[in-house]
Amino acid sequence: MGYVAVQGGAEAIKEANLLAEYNNCRAGRAISVEDIRENLKKMVDSVMSESSLYSPELAALAIKQAQGDPAEAVFLLRAHRSTLPRLYFTTVTDTAHMRVERRISAAFKDIPGGQILGDSPDYRHRLLDYALCAQSPADAQDFARQYEANIREASERTSAEQSGNRGRLPKLVDFLRSQNLVSNPDLSDEPPHDITTEPLVFPSARSSRLQILTRGMTGAVTALGYAKIRGFGISHHPNIGELRVGSLPLHILSDLSGAQEEYYIGEIEATEAEIFMEAHCRGEEAENVLGIGLGYGLCFGRNETKAIAMGVLEHSMENPGPGDPTSDEEFVLLHVDAVESTGFVSHLKLPHYVTFRSKLDRIRNIRKEQSRV
Amino acid sequence: MHDCKERTRLLIRCGNGEALQMANEITEKYPIEWISRPQEGLAMIKVRETAGQTLFCLGEVLITEAKARIGGHIGLGVVTGSRPALCEALAVVDAACRAELPETNRWDAYWARILERENTQDKMWLAIREKTKVDFRTMKE
Repeated sequence: MGYVAVQGGAEAIKEANLLAEYNNCRAGRAISVEDIRENLKKMVDSVMSESSLYSPELAALAIKQAQGDPAEAVFLLRAHRSTLPRLYFTTVTDTAHMRVERRISAAFKDIPGGQILGDSPDYRHRLLDYALCAQSPADAQDFARQYEANIREASERTSAEQSGNRGRLPKLVDFLRSQNLVSNPDLSDEPPHDITTEPLVFPSARSSRLQILTRGMTGAVTALGYAKIRGFGISHHPNIGELRVGSLPLHILSDLSGAQEEYYIGEIEATEAEIFMEAHCRGEEAENVLGIGLGYGLCFGRNETKAIAMGVLEHSMENPGPGDPTSDEEFVLLHVDAVESTGFVSHLKLPHYVTFRSKLDRIRNIRKEQSRV
Repeated sequence: MHDCKERTRLLIRCGNGEALQMANEITEKYPIEWISRPQEGLAMIKVRETAGQTLFCLGEVLITEAKARIGGHIGLGVVTGSRPALCEALAVVDAACRAELPETNRWDAYWARILERENTQDKMWLAIREKTKVDFRTMKE
């Protein structure tokens, strides 16, 4: 049996697209892209993180177009990204320069700079708030006005010294390194692999693993991170050394003027997690001593669970355990990408008439042969 | 006069309006040759992770870029997001500073206003942060 080219369905496809648009419009409601950006921030952040493109405006537009389907929104953003030229690499962004808005440690109570709760749902009851059903833009404006008035009063008491360090806070890991409790590898300036321009090969480079995890699907990264903690390998519970949310300043280098000069180009919001795990490290006399291993997670926006799970998973792949699927980089890295996994599963909806017909023919032929025997 | 890094930081963080005004002053007096008008593109963000202290690619950020020339001096405007007007203004201001145009020496009032705004914003931001700082108390029997 050969392949037979068929055509048809163009009219049905056109009508299906119209119906989808009608279903979205029939209530006569239209949410603005700005509303999505301002009121659905966590969704915008996770779409930016999974699509590996930082643009709250484009992510909000993609969410609107995808009718709130995050995987579809990521697909749209990745497709858009492929139409844009890459003009620069930033200079090395050091997270010690983060303008920290939220910072907690579950390992130490007293940390330099203190525990800062920031904006987090962690300390709220998980009860539906019916008052939101009646919330109007005027209510939101009133609340914001009142809050800002209170803050303005408090800001009068803020000293120049306090505001002078641009919101930076000392890192806990630096303190532990000074105590030789956490290994202190030499700074490496080896150019990182970029999985958007080079194919992934196994065994993978650390930079490839981190890039794939940071753009991985939030649910998939979290699920596999949970699998690791729950029982596939480590016998103890990881501790969050430090979890930070804040803004990272970005810079580029340009030599347009003849000499290389650094330009500030803006900031991005990011979440960083440093996870402590029991591990062996090198002592002062190069002996193997028990110490603290570090897992690392960093992703766009406010994405705390994903950043923590990323730290657990990257540590698992860096320190593989026998029979532990979360240490298997092929298993983890080839399955956490949103576009690849949802794309492959979704493609099952496309016509497979010829392949399925050939399967049926094969089954019939085998049965015929068997009945003859 | 601020260096390039500090100038762009101030104009992008707290001085968008001033950047447009500065650029306007220049475009009214000098011919601007546009090497490239604002175009959207991407910058890959390179970060250093703190566990292995190695580099990796965090992802790309949408940027707008423009290049302008004033009297043989090229100015670059690059800013995150889709912000063509600000990007153009940054390119003009950059070219003006490189050309050392006399107008740039009369921008002290602009810089003072931007620094004052930054100071106010930083104080507000810090006050918000301080409000959520945990005050631990030891429980007593």
